[in-house]
Amino acid sequence: MIRVRPAGGAGRSLCTAALPATNGRAATGPVVGKVTDDHPNTRRTPTVTVGSGSLAAPRQRTGPVASVKDLSVTFRRNGRNLQALRGVTLDISSGEVLALVGESGSGKSVLGLTLLGLHPQKTTTIAGHVEVCGQDVTAAKPDTWRRLRRSSLGAVFQDPMTSLNPTMRIGRQIAEVAGSRAEGVRLLNAAGIPDAERRLASFPHELSGGLRQRVMLAMAIAGSPRLVIADEPTTALDVTVQAQILRLLRGLRDDLGMAILFITHDLGVASQLADRIAVLYGGRIMELGPASEILDAPAHPYTAGLLRSRLTLSTARQGPVGTLPGEPPDPTTPPAGCPFADRCALVLDRCNSEIPTPSTWTKSHDVACWRTGGVVGQEQGHATPWVDPAPAPGLAILLHDVAKSFKVRRGLRSQRIWSLRGVDLEIAPGEVVALVGESGSGKSTLLRAIAGLLEIDRGSIELGMTGSPQMVFQDAGASLTPWLSVATLLKERLAGSNAPAAGREERARAALRAVGLPQEVAAAKPRELSGGQRQRVALARAIVVPPPVLLCDEPTSALDVSLAATILNLVGQLRRDLSMAVLFVTHDLAVARVVADRVAIMYLGRIVEIGPVDEVVDRPRHPYTAALLASVPEPGRTLDAARGEPASPLDIPTGCAFEPRCDHASDACLTSDPVLELAGPPTVDPVRLAHKAACLHRLGSDLARAAGREAGREESR
Amino acid sequence: MAVAEPYVPDPLGPARRFFRSPQSGPRLSGSLRSSLRDTNRAAWYAGGLFTALTVLAVAGPALAPHSPLVPAGAAFTPPGHGGFLLGSDSIGRDELSRVLYGIRTSWFSALGVIASGVLIGGLVGLLAGAAGGWLDEVLMRLTDAFLALPGPVLAIAVVAALGPSLLHTLVAVGIVWWPFYARIVRGEVRSLAARPHLEAARLSGASRWSLMTRHLLPGAAPAIVVTASLDVGNLILTLAGLSFLGLGSPAPAPELGAMAARNLSYLLQSWWVPIMPAIAIFMLAFLSNMTGDFLRDALRDT
Repeated sequence: MIRVRPAGGAGRSLCTAALPATNGRAATGPVVGKVTDDHPNTRRTPTVTVGSGSLAAPRQRTGPVASVKDLSVTFRRNGRNLQALRGVTLDISSGEVLALVGESGSGKSVLGLTLLGLHPQKTTTIAGHVEVCGQDVTAAKPDTWRRLRRSSLGAVFQDPMTSLNPTMRIGRQIAEVAGSRAEGVRLLNAAGIPDAERRLASFPHELSGGLRQRVMLAMAIAGSPRLVIADEPTTALDVTVQAQILRLLRGLRDDLGMAILFITHDLGVASQLADRIAVLYGGRIMELGPASEILDAPAHPYTAGLLRSRLTLSTARQGPVGTLPGEPPDPTTPPAGCPFADRCALVLDRCNSEIPTPSTWTKSHDVACWRTGGVVGQEQGHATPWVDPAPAPGLAILLHDVAKSFKVRRGLRSQRIWSLRGVDLEIAPGEVVALVGESGSGKSTLLRAIAGLLEIDRGSIELGMTGSPQMVFQDAGASLTPWLSVATLLKERLAGSNAPAAGREERARAALRAVGLPQEVAAAKPRELSGGQRQRVALARAIVVPPPVLLCDEPTSALDVSLAATILNLVGQLRRDLSMAVLFVTHDLAVARVVADRVAIMYLGRIVEIGPVDEVVDRPRHPYTAALLASVPEPGRTLDAARGEPASPLDIPTGCAFEPRCDHASDACLTSDPVLELAGPPTVDPVRLAHKAACLHRLGSDLARAAGREAGREESR
Repeated sequence: MAVAEPYVPDPLGPARRFFRSPQSGPRLSGSLRSSLRDTNRAAWYAGGLFTALTVLAVAGPALAPHSPLVPAGAAFTPPGHGGFLLGSDSIGRDELSRVLYGIRTSWFSALGVIASGVLIGGLVGLLAGAAGGWLDEVLMRLTDAFLALPGPVLAIAVVAALGPSLLHTLVAVGIVWWPFYARIVRGEVRSLAARPHLEAARLSGASRWSLMTRHLLPGAAPAIVVTASLDVGNLILTLAGLSFLGLGSPAPAPELGAMAARNLSYLLQSWWVPIMPAIAIFMLAFLSNMTGDFLRDALRDT
């Protein structure tokens, strides 16, 4: 449970607007009778009930709702001290969205938990000063925290499945924080849950990920908190749903006037919501300022590096993408100077010995860097373009009408779900095709079928060349046998392909060199390696015997931005050096654009659009592709999310599967099931490279315009 | 909130963990190096205890001051008198010597049954778990059938058919003991088989045999070792119970369970005669359980 409310809270209305308190600070909102005047700032204030249906009016935006000064948080884990935060000073003003951006291990979640008072007391040392809602909580007792969380704080975490109680119906869980069932329904409505009344009877596992996150949000805003802490609330969601949740968060902030501490690893997501951005690295704030300034003109080399290694739909793709070499410092032995010093291209002598103090860069924009001259001139020169090998004749992969179903048991009935519903695809040797789609689209199933790990129900898979395809998995750690050393795994692959025993040692070493790993890694077990190193080891195993086809299953989605960029560059280098065909599964169009020659968009077990990357990204013909593109969060873009969530493969709509979410759908889409048809320039050589879409009204064509007019007419009627 | 202080290893840590109830909270999954240090400590304790017990069992005859079978003095001498550290029994045999020999018998019998259980059960479980499908079905139903046999009744039947002997009892116990291991190994192997590392190994071109022995079995090893070491105490008690019922070595062989049983009538006038072997059983079971617990700590993070 995140927020526990006493039974006395029953009947308390969300729809109350607090009057400003006399001390000039916004009031803490309606307070349960039990909470008395033992804290000067938690005072009972007269409340005004607004008519049902509308939410509380925005509060006055004055004074910080939370502030930390010189905060250090140290955990004791198995006898070692982990310094998660080291001297963080930060204010969150009433009603503002402050995005806390950082890579894994930067301490961003720790700050969120500190403001919620959710650290284990025994193993945590908190030094400095923490104030929440005007109350000094640096050494607050659990009781004080409970009262604060109940009256003024809300929280949303990354995984709503683990944050919700799986054994309780939604209705009971929401009523527990809302005070009453009716209030719960109103909260669910506010969180944009369709048919909220009916959802009360559902268990969390019966809801989709997006709906679960909306329930969490509804619980977080119960009682009009002054501050909501959202820790990567959209990371586990599909892009279209992420765009919806971001829009919802923005709307809730505008309606309720609460402050949001939005914790994320993605500057693009932060750009969609944040008023201010704080960039955290190695437990310290590197840069803090207005979102637009940080995104347009970062003053810290780390922020600049993060922005540079972030892939967007306009990243140059002729050569390797910009990276941020190195890895974050170990939190148990933090460096004496700037934590970023050993990765910084602009490092000074001073950086290694002295911790830079935050200095004012512009008004309300602080930066902790000794180079107060900023980061101009730091831009990396244009990378040398890739040199593509001459195309080889023939095909590496030929898929024809591939279909795969799984049997699932629902209660007593068993049902078949079709994960792949007829996929045709040709990939030439040396070509990279990206397979893009949301969860449930069947992209991973297709990959596993090609790898031979799954039997298909229908169709054929032909691999044009000798040699077995190799695969790189999303979770590199889990794909390496934990108790075998890296050298053992590499040599096993060599033995598996009947390589002569004599040269195996040398070839294993060469493979490690090829993926940029030091030779000492050979003796290591997977768990002794970092996430990026594991993914490199997985790549080394895949290419130690160069395969004709490399299958990549979201190899970068679990990695930090800077690491992801280096892995993508590595794949780009290896596929050209070894002339491998690559089928690269990803949910991220920006990644697909950088890594692939062609991109295939999948929806519910089918390819709905395929074509050369630039064609598809610049001129999407299928409404689904257009919706995916419009949901990519990037600075300076307003997201336009598709409505709804992907239909369940258990219940595929008749006609066009995308029809229920499509803005361009007509009556014909309800009945006819479109197949891939030419959507781009009519003459392409070879035919394989043609731009095709499976849509009756291919966008940009005359048909689509006609359909649009028709739809407009119907609406006006 | 505690004040940061330098870390001092806690020599009683494993003992504290041992006495802590499992509900008292999950252990924080720590960083690698420190968990290794912790792990190493627990492994040392486990290894030390196991070695100590085995040395005691091997060196029993050398340590025993008297013969376990021949009377060495007056009957019913209390402990500490007449050169008998633990007293003498109803016909004047040295209790200490008999207990030492008894420990030797119990310890090696338990290890023997466990070893056979791990071997047979491990093989069946590995085959069933790795193969899946009908072979899994057949092997597991067979395992269930053996699991349904009541141990003591089977032991009585075997002893009745083949005559009383420790070996016969051990065979009977061994027959009902292996199914536990088959189930554990199969469960572990099946969950490991669902991990991507097995698919990656398959794509690497590893043979079926190598998949089973290199990519699956080592993952099940911690569970087997922990179960087996916790099982030793259990088995010592079971065997003592069976010999208490007269299903072990025939008299006058020194066996802890039988010694306690046959001398129970002297409990009131000469308590040490039945109590000393009982204490030995308790100590043996307790120490081997502790070994198992340390092992579990040592292997938890792998």
